[in-house]
Amino acid sequence: DASALPFEADNSVSCRLKSQIPDICRTEDCCLGIDEAGRGPVLGPMVYGICFCPISRKEELKDLKVADSKTLTEAEREALFEKMDEAKSYVGWALQVLSPNTISNSMLQRTKYNLNALSHDTAIGLVQHALDCGVQLKEVFVDTVGPADKYEDKLSKIFPGIAVTVRPKADSLFPIVSAASICAKVARDFAVKHWRFGEDLGEVDADYGSGYPSDPKTKAWLLRYLDPVFGYPQLVRFSWSTAQTLMDSRGVTVHWDDDDDDEDGEKAAQRRNNRSMLSYFSAAAGGGSQSGSNQTHRFFSDRKLKSLDTL
Amino acid sequence: MCSQLTHSPSNKVCFYTFKIPEFTSFICICYSMSNNTNVIHVQVSSVGDAQRVPVHLMPCEIEHNGPAQVSQYFHATTKDRKQEMTVSFRGRALRGQELCCPQGYTGVVLKETIKPGSDQEDRTVMVTSVFDKMTYWNLETLPNPDDRVVMAMDWTELSEAIHGPVED
Repeated sequence: DASALPFEADNSVSCRLKSQIPDICRTEDCCLGIDEAGRGPVLGPMVYGICFCPISRKEELKDLKVADSKTLTEAEREALFEKMDEAKSYVGWALQVLSPNTISNSMLQRTKYNLNALSHDTAIGLVQHALDCGVQLKEVFVDTVGPADKYEDKLSKIFPGIAVTVRPKADSLFPIVSAASICAKVARDFAVKHWRFGEDLGEVDADYGSGYPSDPKTKAWLLRYLDPVFGYPQLVRFSWSTAQTLMDSRGVTVHWDDDDDDEDGEKAAQRRNNRSMLSYFSAAAGGGSQSGSNQTHRFFSDRKLKSLDTL
Repeated sequence: MCSQLTHSPSNKVCFYTFKIPEFTSFICICYSMSNNTNVIHVQVSSVGDAQRVPVHLMPCEIEHNGPAQVSQYFHATTKDRKQEMTVSFRGRALRGQELCCPQGYTGVVLKETIKPGSDQEDRTVMVTSVFDKMTYWNLETLPNPDDRVVMAMDWTELSEAIHGPVED
């Protein structure tokens, strides 16, 4: 449990947690599994996990009876996580906890950074971490949500000399991926359960439900903790449509200077410049404020300064 | 919020910029004001009661005039590390910096408590709070000297040079 401490210290950023690297992983050829937990929920972090062990000891991992984390209960997952800790002489793991604030900031960035790109970069970063630690990687197995072929090509190019296998449902096919999924899920559950609010909200009801937008408990919580101006505490992923829809309908409207850069760029451009064609034919049309003797000096327009004679 | 600045060189009360002993002039951040009137009085006596408050210049327009849980949501999550301030608003990353009011100026927040009945009536605004620095926030970009609000502060110096008394 102490492993989640760095994230508890600052849950607004992305954070890496890791086990010690077993000595044997630095000398023997290893396999590595990658999986994620908490991709769908509107609440809490998304956690990426890697788990690795020598290829020669893959079978022993099977004997631990690791399985797809989704088929296990919370207690079973925690028990398996303990078991993996007992196997630390040959099993290593690392996690990247992407805070909901990191997810919101990335997805709502001026130059959009979507969840797939963020996921890929996180997975790549974790594999690189294992390599940097001297783990002799020969095989990598990845669970994927998007198209597997493209992702497999991408990873193979980045990590030449490593056999990369990307498969949907890899967490039920390869024990090393199951192990990674367990680590990720345990960390995600821990982070949500022990979420420390950075906001000064007093006692907050922690009955969020599963965090999935479809869960009535999650929905009720989102309705109850909506602030009209600030929206939500940082536990919530602001980039999720569930959160955005609620803020749009029950919060105050906020305009950003890049609001129009979204899909409807053409429409917005039209709205900004919705002059009739005919206006160009009338003598007075001209450039509006730019012409005439009342033109403001660039010193003022650059600074958005205006002379005030009334309020 | 607007970053409009005026400067008054004399002692007389002209519109809303004027001199009183402690304050040479004002940076005005105003809200709930309408136009089309002749004289606007600033209730000088209200300055004494005015609270010193933290002021934030946001890189977005918030369609809200009124109280907000600024300290609970905003101040509580603001990170201030090595001169670099960061915070998120509505899930977007902001980067900020403190900006002092120009020398000799004090910022005031004005509020019109009694709306005039007609265009012809004089108007009275109260100073609800004062500030000598504010925090301005950029959307994602690092605060820099080219930011408009930083450059806007040049005006007071220029204004002084243009309108100030000519020395022999």
